Amino acid sequence: MGPVEYCLTGALAMFAGVDRVAFGQFMISRPIVVGPLAGLILGDALVGLEIGMLLELLWLGRLPVGAAIPPDDTQVTLGATVLALHLEQTLTVHGMPLVLLCVLVAIPLGKFGQSFDRLARNVNDRFNTKALTALKKGDVSSMERLHLMGLGSFAFAGLATAALIIFFGFLVLSFVAPFLVDSVRHAGLGLQYSLILVGAASLLGTINVNRAVSLFSAAFTGTLLVMWLK
Amino acid sequence: MIPDKAIRLKTYLAMAWRSLFLQTSWNFERLQNLGFLFLMLPGLRRIYGQDLPADLCLRHSTYFNTHPYFASMVAGTCLRIEEKQANGIETVIDTDSFKKMVMAPFAAMGDALFWGGIRPIAAMIGLFFATQGSLWAPVVFLLLFNLPHFLFRFSGFWLGYFYELRAIEIIQRTHLPDLAIRLKEMTVVLLGVLCAYLAFKGCNHQEISSLWGFVLLPVVYLYAWIARKGVSSLFLVLLTTLSLLLLSVLFY
Amino acid sequence: MSIVLARIDSRLVHGQVLEAWVPHVKADCIVVANDEVAGVSFQRAVMEAAVPSSIKLVIGTLEEAVRILSSAELLKKRVLLLFSNSEDALELRQLGVIYDKLNLGNMHSSSGKDRYSCTIALDTEDIHNLQKIEDQGVSIVCQCVPADRERTWHKLIQTGAR
Repeated sequence: MGPVEYCLTGALAMFAGVDRVAFGQFMISRPIVVGPLAGLILGDALVGLEIGMLLELLWLGRLPVGAAIPPDDTQVTLGATVLALHLEQTLTVHGMPLVLLCVLVAIPLGKFGQSFDRLARNVNDRFNTKALTALKKGDVSSMERLHLMGLGSFAFAGLATAALIIFFGFLVLSFVAPFLVDSVRHAGLGLQYSLILVGAASLLGTINVNRAVSLFSAAFTGTLLVMWLK
Repeated sequence: MIPDKAIRLKTYLAMAWRSLFLQTSWNFERLQNLGFLFLMLPGLRRIYGQDLPADLCLRHSTYFNTHPYFASMVAGTCLRIEEKQANGIETVIDTDSFKKMVMAPFAAMGDALFWGGIRPIAAMIGLFFATQGSLWAPVVFLLLFNLPHFLFRFSGFWLGYFYELRAIEIIQRTHLPDLAIRLKEMTVVLLGVLCAYLAFKGCNHQEISSLWGFVLLPVVYLYAWIARKGVSSLFLVLLTTLSLLLLSVLFY
Repeated sequence: MSIVLARIDSRLVHGQVLEAWVPHVKADCIVVANDEVAGVSFQRAVMEAAVPSSIKLVIGTLEEAVRILSSAELLKKRVLLLFSNSEDALELRQLGVIYDKLNLGNMHSSSGKDRYSCTIALDTEDIHNLQKIEDQGVSIVCQCVPADRERTWHKLIQTGAR
């Protein structure tokens, strides 16, 4: 991995960070998209897809409603993908155990993303105050400039979160991974399923649908039975 | 004074582009206020000329917060109202009270439809591709999600502009909140299918009868119940992981 | 009738209420007690368009709300009661509507109000009203969405304005 790849990853962190709130909301920032993209840059899109899939399902039920700031699923996915593809070379572990380790370390580190996001919005508070003062003087172009500076705050928040996840994730994993890899490998399938399980369950538990459990059970039972019959 | 309904394609395109920047300076004080003014500027300049009076700009930069995909519809109506007022035509309502009235309900509709309905089902369908290791997964997801997104964002302006307050009647007739619930129900069904498929694969991997997959069902119920109590998924993940790791350390 | 959630939210019917609170408290009826909204038919239409048909929405002035809340129509409903400000919450309580917990969701800042948290801004009038409500045995908590931690409003006041 050379400097070009790192720069591109940084650019992706900023672009996806901006897509979350500040520009467009094309959903480039969703784990299922950002994971494969980060993977593509670093040479293995499929690892990114695997990580993106796990995290997408985990946070599917979470809604960004109102002023509440959700956990930064974007940078967690990006960070986990970078960690997985980086440590693959140094730790000589690969496949599912490594992916799981990286995801599990990145998720709690992603908590910090919320404070960077809050910081960005606080910085925007200042831009807003300045912009309103400019407007009072009839200075519209200053207001437009200040408004667009918000792109910078959110891009910075995205980059900072990603950098933090990657840096601390790297530290933690370099020390811990050698000890944990074996037990993660043994518990591998169970762990992978536990992530999917938590995702499915939290979607089921929080989704605003009557009879969600009945619908889910019917679909699950029907499908499993059909596959068993086959 | 300009003729009535003077919005040109150029103005519309500028506003459509700027609607992407609605939340760029999202702040705790007034949320999307500057974004809304930024979006309105091409239209306002078309009506009032290049030099906009300060009080006009301040009037359009008050507290504003709605679903980002619905903002262009609000802007359409606001521009029409502004245009009428500039031409001395009586309006039922001014832009400020219009914005105040629609922003929260539109936010609710958008949250339910896009965040609650369309995004989960698009992601769910994408996940089916992902389980097969297909890189089409993100493409499918982006297409499924962004088609309705663009439809709403880019046609909403004209709906708001031409129908004004009657746009709400049209919206009401489409029963968007009910549509959102249908989509959510479909998501839950697809989730069931996906989980069953993964359970089947897991059983095959362990070389046991796929009927063991049903063990997953009560566990999902238990977790869903815990999640419903307000326990965060982060906590659930850590708890499960640690207990699984502990088990594997004990047994191997 | 049981009031499963009483909430002050200046945005009244919006995403946090419909997507997060309604399923959390299993409400099947939303009562909006607000004099202004009840008087404007357009505003009522917009709000009605936002609520799915499986949930009953009642919009009324404070006095109407008191009557509706005790009517037979809502006898078996799980009601989510919404106010837009502390004054309405106090008045409805004094008009005899009993709720024992009051949730502070969004109280947006305007001039003369100090911001105590991201979503809550209060002036002395608000604090006075809330104190009165609490004196009647209501526990007042701040919680934007169910996923957030619940905090008593005293904690908020103690940390002071930002």
